[in-house]
Amino acid sequence: MANGTDSSEVLENLKLELRRGCLIVAVLAQLRNEQYGYTLRKALADDGLAIDEGTLYPLLRRLETQGLLASQWREEEKRNKRFYRLSSAGDLILKQLLEEWENINASLNKILQEASL
Amino acid sequence: MNDISSRNIDLVDRYLQAVRFWLPKTHRQDDLIAELGEDLRSQIDEKETELGHPLDKAETAAILRRCGSPMMVAGRLGPQRHLIGPALFPIYEFVLKMVLLWILVPVFIFILGPVNAANSGGNFGVAIASTLGDLWFALFIAAGIITLVFAIIERTNAHLGVECKWDPLKLPPVRREQPKQASRLKAVCELGFGWFGLIWLSLLPHYPVLILGPAAAFLKAGPALHTFYPLILALSVVGILRSAMTLARPEWIWFPLASQLANSVFVLVVLNYIIQAVSRSTSAFPFVMMQDGAHRQLAAIVNVSILLSIAATWLGVCIAAVVQSWQFMRYLRKRTPGGHLPESLRAR
Repeated sequence: MANGTDSSEVLENLKLELRRGCLIVAVLAQLRNEQYGYTLRKALADDGLAIDEGTLYPLLRRLETQGLLASQWREEEKRNKRFYRLSSAGDLILKQLLEEWENINASLNKILQEASL
Repeated sequence: MNDISSRNIDLVDRYLQAVRFWLPKTHRQDDLIAELGEDLRSQIDEKETELGHPLDKAETAAILRRCGSPMMVAGRLGPQRHLIGPALFPIYEFVLKMVLLWILVPVFIFILGPVNAANSGGNFGVAIASTLGDLWFALFIAAGIITLVFAIIERTNAHLGVECKWDPLKLPPVRREQPKQASRLKAVCELGFGWFGLIWLSLLPHYPVLILGPAAAFLKAGPALHTFYPLILALSVVGILRSAMTLARPEWIWFPLASQLANSVFVLVVLNYIIQAVSRSTSAFPFVMMQDGAHRQLAAIVNVSILLSIAATWLGVCIAAVVQSWQFMRYLRKRTPGGHLPESLRAR
């Protein structure tokens, strides 16, 4: 590593990679209750997982194409908004993902404990 | 709707129009733009609620600026696109390097360049410029065609079939490059031929027939040959010493590599010196001249032939020096920590 700037850049890239998988789980979990794009973004940001428009909307489309989300355009407060919610397939996948998340977390904790001995 | 709000909406619409321009024209374009517009308007609403007044142009622009430039936003919103994907890119890069650097550049420099120079009627500057121009054009066309072919393969997924067919058992064995000791047979041969060459060179002043053949009856050595004869003799002696040292010290792995390189540099210096001296010479017959006034044409042909041979030797030694430098650098690199490992297993 050449200098501090490089090291912070590496850290940022690693954090992005780490967040990428978590964001999918977070989005699916948030959409257990129906929301439109902006409120979803706000809710994620309020919980500490800020996500920009350019990342969220393609992700929502991808999850919808995979059948994990359902969406519909509806008028609210005199404006057309696209509301998303978890589909039944998405609900099942979310449960499996959360289970996998628990397993990964347990494994990681075990590895960290072993390493600290 | 008040004036400020309508100005804000106008700015947002202009922004969305710019994003739309960069998005691929698919059925999802309207959908994406509508959703992005809704997100931006929600952000503006929230900011207005927070500040307690409608946003002015600068405040709206700040929100749009935070969102990113239209081209960048469109790039993130649209599907991930690439001309040549990561699976094909290594072979694309390999083919590009092979064709451009190892085929086109050598062909132009070592074949077409000299042909252009020979046909230029002595106008070498024009010949070099023309060769470089043609080389640039050929590199450009070749790179374009290769890129196009690989883009088609990427689009048609033709590489997927090849990827499925690979067999681990057919992988080449790991290269184990270990420094080899110089071959004794090679050194003995070099020594033998070196002595033979030295004897032949020593006899030349007394028996010109050894180099001129039957023409020795009417041709004799010119001033340049007399001047450079001691240098050529010295080169031959150095070559013999080098072969003898290689034979006596086979464990000096570095010696043949370093001495070959030094020898090539020495030869290049001598050849340069000869070429420069001949080009400055006022004599029409620098290497060989007539015994009497006759056979001027033959003497001229022999002089030109020798000059061309020297130029060709200079070119050959240049190439040899480059190769030898590379071999020597590779040897030095292998002496560094981890250098003993096979190249494929070494940390990059």
